[in-house]
Amino acid sequence: MPPMRTFKTLFVPLLLLVLWHWIAASGLVSRYLLPGPGAVLSSALSMAQSGILAEHLAASFSRIAMGFSASTVVGLAVAGLLYRFRLLDELFTGTLSFLRMTPPLALAPLIILWLGIDGAMQVAIIMLASFFPIYLNTRAGLSRLDPLHRELAASLHVSRLRFVLFFLVPAAIPSVITGLRLSFGYSWRALIAAELIAASSGLGYLIMDAEQMQRADEVIVGIVVIGVIGWMLDAGFVRVTTALLGRRFPEIRG
Amino acid sequence: MLILEDIRKAFGAKPVLQGLGLELAPSGVTCLLGPSGCGKSTLLRIAAGLESPDSGLVHARPEDCAVVFQDPRLLPWLTVGENLRLALPAMLPSREAAAGIEAALAMVELPPALSRAMPRELSGGMAQRVGVARALLRRPRIMLMDEPFAALDAMTRAHLQDMLRTLMRESLCLFVTHDISEAFRVARRICVMKEGSIVRTFEEGDFATAEQRRALKKLIVEQLGIREKGAKDD
Repeated sequence: MPPMRTFKTLFVPLLLLVLWHWIAASGLVSRYLLPGPGAVLSSALSMAQSGILAEHLAASFSRIAMGFSASTVVGLAVAGLLYRFRLLDELFTGTLSFLRMTPPLALAPLIILWLGIDGAMQVAIIMLASFFPIYLNTRAGLSRLDPLHRELAASLHVSRLRFVLFFLVPAAIPSVITGLRLSFGYSWRALIAAELIAASSGLGYLIMDAEQMQRADEVIVGIVVIGVIGWMLDAGFVRVTTALLGRRFPEIRG
Repeated sequence: MLILEDIRKAFGAKPVLQGLGLELAPSGVTCLLGPSGCGKSTLLRIAAGLESPDSGLVHARPEDCAVVFQDPRLLPWLTVGENLRLALPAMLPSREAAAGIEAALAMVELPPALSRAMPRELSGGMAQRVGVARALLRRPRIMLMDEPFAALDAMTRAHLQDMLRTLMRESLCLFVTHDISEAFRVARRICVMKEGSIVRTFEEGDFATAEQRRALKKLIVEQLGIREKGAKDD
């Protein structure tokens, strides 16, 4: 990133930081409710040193890795199968619409009853939250092949396999990338929500625990870490996909 | 060979081809010349097997045909080389494929390094040459071309017309156009088409000299109602 753009991106966060410091230092708000940036930073450092932060981060990361990769596989497979087999599409359309309109957190109580509060439950919530962006965007992408390119395939008499590999799938890729990126954001937010409701580890749990201990400083540390990590992961995703596919699909550049 | 007999085709209630018969010159380019909307592109698509006629006979196997469209129609996510590769059998060893691609690029006067470029990096004329190279790679018995140079600037167009005439000297080629000068420049036989059927056929001897061409142009423009500068497309 050019320095000017880095500066512009960071300008508003820095401004907010200054404002926060000013409000906290003015004494208008109790220090227990709104600790200043300095106090929060020193809590963050001590949480990092004691290993608490790393432990909860690792718990959240492993859940997101499992949940997101599972819903990627399932989302792509279901989209492919329903595109290919009309009957399956007709059979599942209603059920999928029902699930899509049901917020994953509304299903949380039932999932907790079935799966308990650790590991599997959060992964299930992530899957419910992130399946649909992948499925729907892949589905839309598979219909995106230009009729002129379809005609080209016919005139070249390409095999079925070549048609899928070089025509159908590449035409879907920009949509699929959009779906993955959206779904990743959804996963991250759903994970934190699931951990807030019920968990014994993870960043969401960390915030909840700190709240019960009346530690506003640790709550803020948790929020900032969640936001910054989500932001970094999203930027990393764009960077990796651009590096891998940017030449063939200039439209996916972030 | 490509012979079409008594082809009829309608889109809805609108008849497009009305009992059209056509035989290609045994070698060299046969031009199908007609105004916009006369059904010439439909006829080419029927010959290519991309469209089926309502009735009539097509004596050509679609596998023997290669098509060059009006737009180059390269897949934007593949390099030039990968686009060309699609015209070759999937099982062909990659070294042979690479040699074939290089030879095809040379035929349309493009450097071998171009095979690594993306289609969006090419000019219109270069992209259309790649389209021609792709059709050549299929080693077609019959080359079908649908106003392939219509979108290019005059200089590039003239150059490609001459190139095509040379390339197609020994092959069968059906070339659709609405441009009379283009027909004179590339064709060995010109079939003039109007309202869904072929109204006149001229052989090379009929338009060999400048004088003949002037007279013929006058005849085509005045009697057959075909303008030199028609609309771009059917």
